[in-house]
Amino acid sequence: METLRSLAVAMVAPALLLASCAAPRPSADALRPETTVVLLPDADGKVGRIIVANQAGSRTLDRAETATSIHDAQTAPAEPAPMAAAEIATTFGDALAAQPPRPLHFVLYFEQGSAELTATSRGELKAVVRAVHDRRSVDTSVVGHSDTAGDARMNLGLSLQRAIAVAALLSAEGIPPEALEITSHGEANLLVPTGDNVSEPRNRCVEVTVR
Amino acid sequence: MNPSWMRALFIGSVITGSTLFAALPSVAGEETIGSVKNAAGKTFVVRGGGEIPAAAGFKLHLGDTLETGPDGRLGVILRDDSLISLGPSSRVAIEKFLFSPAEGKLGLTTRILRGTMAYLSGLIGRLAPESATFVTPVATIGVRGTRFAIKVPE
Repeated sequence: METLRSLAVAMVAPALLLASCAAPRPSADALRPETTVVLLPDADGKVGRIIVANQAGSRTLDRAETATSIHDAQTAPAEPAPMAAAEIATTFGDALAAQPPRPLHFVLYFEQGSAELTATSRGELKAVVRAVHDRRSVDTSVVGHSDTAGDARMNLGLSLQRAIAVAALLSAEGIPPEALEITSHGEANLLVPTGDNVSEPRNRCVEVTVR
Repeated sequence: MNPSWMRALFIGSVITGSTLFAALPSVAGEETIGSVKNAAGKTFVVRGGGEIPAAAGFKLHLGDTLETGPDGRLGVILRDDSLISLGPSSRVAIEKFLFSPAEGKLGLTTRILRGTMAYLSGLIGRLAPESATFVTPVATIGVRGTRFAIKVPE
């Protein structure tokens, strides 16, 4: 496909030039296919920014569906230009269709100073198990957190115990342990930022990311 | 629940946990950095000089090169939730992956050798935008939390 299209371009381009008799025949080098980069909106329509650079110069793309092309490493990227939806689909359709769905995130909460899930979060476990099965996830992260009440080392241990408790509950529901990655952040990476020695129920949690 | 099994899990997790706190992964190795979510046609991973067929559920390691045949398509999710997908006749190497948000150690370097690839930022792109880089034979692409697609000719 790719080769055919490049071949088609290579064949059509000189024919057009001959027909118009306008420009001198371009060298084989000028006809070499180019690298193309196109900026796309994410699922929420948000558009970020990419910077395409080589030794000859750099270009910033910050509008959706604009593209730049790069001929070679010694030539600066071309002026960004809009790329038609149809061309995006032709060129990148397969790669875009292969994009996996975004991972699912769950946050489960715990009783104060303990690795015991709150009643509400116990009720949410079924949804986590279902997500792991539905996504056929072999790489689900279980990350323990604590609030900042008490000693940091103790909290690191507690957050690990919480992650292990959740992993054990998931394994008991038939999720193989090798599909689970267990880590803990203690009070180092708070979901809800607070000062030290603050009891914050929303930080007594385990984040589960189902990939 | 079997108590000895629980103890094994606990010890295993403590070891995994402490390894992660040391934030070691920066050389090619056994550490899982993501997994294949979908694969169609001929798709494989080049690892240590060998080609391994890569179907859904295949776990990726640092240094792996993703490859698709003329009829191939491949979609992967990395541990930072980055989404990378390849069209046909493509070759993409994951050269650096550092994801340790608690220590602020973050980095992703991907080399697109040929073909087409689409990317949607994960946490590395969001938390440390300067550290997500895509390298091609003719230019380098820096990403500020976003989605883009690229085509690199043969």
